[in-house]
Amino acid sequence: MSPSFRDGAREGFRAFLPLSVGLVPWALVTGVAMRSTGLSVIESVGMNLIVFAGTAQLGTLPLIGAGAPLWLIMLTALVLNLRFVIFSAALAPAFDRVPLLQRVLSGYLLVDGVFAVGAERMLASQDRDWRMGFFLAPSAYAWVLWQVFVLCGVLGAGALPRDWSLEFMATIALITLLVPIARARPMLLAALVGGLATVLLKDMPLRLGMIAGIVLGIAAGFAVERWQARRTAP
Amino acid sequence: MNEGTLLSGGWLWLAFVLIAVATHVPRGSFIVAGSRVRLPEALQRALRYAPAAALAALVAPDMLLVGGQLDPFNLKLVAGLAAFAVAFRWKNPWLPFAVGMGIVWLGRI
Repeated sequence: MSPSFRDGAREGFRAFLPLSVGLVPWALVTGVAMRSTGLSVIESVGMNLIVFAGTAQLGTLPLIGAGAPLWLIMLTALVLNLRFVIFSAALAPAFDRVPLLQRVLSGYLLVDGVFAVGAERMLASQDRDWRMGFFLAPSAYAWVLWQVFVLCGVLGAGALPRDWSLEFMATIALITLLVPIARARPMLLAALVGGLATVLLKDMPLRLGMIAGIVLGIAAGFAVERWQARRTAP
Repeated sequence: MNEGTLLSGGWLWLAFVLIAVATHVPRGSFIVAGSRVRLPEALQRALRYAPAAALAALVAPDMLLVGGQLDPFNLKLVAGLAAFAVAFRWKNPWLPFAVGMGIVWLGRI
């Protein structure tokens, strides 16, 4: 471990620390939600280790609980994770000439919080070792924090009564994720159209209503963005 | 696999693997492929709206449908909107859960 890796690790950890507190309730809720969907402790821990993605886990649990077709479950997870394609594309220059194994590991560990806090500084640094330290340290810390508190939720869920509508906590967790996104006007519109269209199209066969709703939401947001851009252009 | 029952056994683990693939392929995509490959600008911009639309598509049925039927005047909608408002206004990560679940539980009494 080179000194500049250690330097980067220290700074990355320090930058992510305040934000990491927000992972705790979310991890607890994910743990409880997996158990209240009907997964066993082993299945919950397995899902959490394999998937390691709160949004995709919370988002697919209702579908898993309802015995939805596998293709729909996978497609839903894919749509929820499309943002990572953009994060990944944005970060790619920072991983230039990094060994393949480290790049694969970094891909597995990539989460929203670390990207939000660190992307700019990572891309600005000329030192490859520093960048890897700056990315890997907070990412590994986020992984441990996530696994520990999801496990607390999984084990604690049994002690909670069944008739408390605890599955609604998963809905609230997804709503809180929408908050920072929906501050921008076109994003809010994409969400409103996506949500309402899904509800109105609920009788479409094969649950295509949800996919159609999402596509309509994306189209609405993108259209308004274009329209706004044209209005502000000279 | 019947509609309306939890996936079980091998199907469940297969679902986990598929969700994992749908997570780690997007995450790893450009980091692993390297910076030579680029997405078209318009596609990148459009994709930014995917999470917002998908999150809303997931929560809207929970808040607007009761027993599969549209019911805009139900407690879960109130609880959901309250949780959103609280999260919008305050940074405390616990507050939306306390307020949202509080409203749902109040309705039980």
